[in-house]
Amino acid sequence: MFLTITPGAAAPDDAVFRSMFEARKRVFVDLLKWDVPVLGSRYEVDQFDTPDATYLILTDDAGNHLGSARLLPTQRPHILDTLFPQLCEGSVPSGPGVQEITRFCLDPRQNARQRRRTRDTLVHALAAHALARGIARYTGVAEMGWLQQILAFGWDCEPLGLPRQVGARLLGALTIAITRDTPRLLERAGLVSAIAVPGDAVRHAA
Amino acid sequence: MHIKANRGSGGLGNAPSVDAEEMTSLAVANEFLELTRCATTNDQLRDALATICESMGFEYFALTHHVDPHATEAQVIRLHNYPKPWVEWFDDHRLGVSDPVHRASRVTDAGFCWARVPSMIKLTAADREVLAMARREGVGDGFTVPAHIPGEASGSCSFAVGPGKEVPAHYVPVAQLVGTFAFDTARRVNRIRCVDTEGPPLTGRQRDCVLWAARGKTNWETAQILGLSEETVMQHHKQARERLDIPNKPMLVVRALYDGYICFDDVFRP
Repeated sequence: MFLTITPGAAAPDDAVFRSMFEARKRVFVDLLKWDVPVLGSRYEVDQFDTPDATYLILTDDAGNHLGSARLLPTQRPHILDTLFPQLCEGSVPSGPGVQEITRFCLDPRQNARQRRRTRDTLVHALAAHALARGIARYTGVAEMGWLQQILAFGWDCEPLGLPRQVGARLLGALTIAITRDTPRLLERAGLVSAIAVPGDAVRHAA
Repeated sequence: MHIKANRGSGGLGNAPSVDAEEMTSLAVANEFLELTRCATTNDQLRDALATICESMGFEYFALTHHVDPHATEAQVIRLHNYPKPWVEWFDDHRLGVSDPVHRASRVTDAGFCWARVPSMIKLTAADREVLAMARREGVGDGFTVPAHIPGEASGSCSFAVGPGKEVPAHYVPVAQLVGTFAFDTARRVNRIRCVDTEGPPLTGRQRDCVLWAARGKTNWETAQILGLSEETVMQHHKQARERLDIPNKPMLVVRALYDGYICFDDVFRP
């Protein structure tokens, strides 16, 4: 399994990117029925897929997409402040040390065990990335079922407000503190990274 | 995307306007989260649930978690303050699995009021008797927060009021948040882990054969569909059963669904 960490500005034609946008279409549009734009009926790409975004993409040895997440800087417009400010009781957390996790995507071509392995590796990669880049906390919006799973990863989560019905979905906003202790908390919750030392298999695209 | 602002909050693009009363209810939730953040025992969690339950205007709480029945140490978390006669009746009738509210919580991720249960699952005559019996024993309407963690048995956290009383609607979002976090605290306190059985996973062909069995096809039919011999299909089934340590085909199909090798949509909406 390989991890690519890349800004949105890198090679838009890159096969890894295409395979991620395709997987996102299958997950968020086909499976979860989100009302989000689709490019050329194949790729799920929205207004936040810009050079400012950072992507963590896991692929298999052949370069096929296994899982991915998009990080948005919170000093610029992002999902929580643009689409769901009502999910925050106070002001929307923002700053250089705060990034928003969006489009956490596990490729549906995997079976439950493979998805679990990919998920655990991706969560560990998010924690390692935050530690390497001085990100002190992540924020995120989730449907309640997914939010329950995010809590179960064992890291340190706090609600930003009360859950609210938005259209057909019940959504909540969370903040996740990332500290040196986070990798241990994830391991204690049973999350094991398939990449032995997250730094090792990382391909940093330009 | 259509955004439905609710309960007087700011809509799209506006600064969130939170009324004073709602601030109070989030404060109630935060108080609970503070209490449970350091909780290390079920007693501490039970006390915190009792406190928040009262603050929200509910009379009863019940947090239940059934661990994977395949796990070696079958352990059931159950924290509640239901009336004793109701709990005895519930256990005598072995409702842990078949209780209509528990069953309804399997079909949704979001919390629901019990009044909605008849629109969520098909109720049998026995289910109606369960609900009537609960009312007779002092448990009326309620709100249940389901909890589904992949690889673990489902659970839920419920809050209820006495018969003839209404669920305090204002506190339903708090109950949702509290239920979600309470369930996670229960997992942490009781060291519930995902059960990730070791051993080789099914091969693609084994999975295909199990999927066609789930769709009701015989080995011969599956062989025709997949372009294999009937003998080969039988071998795939046999090896799949051996890999998952399953004695027969119906159980193999159920286990494959439970483990996520195949999903209900594959079976019913191919």
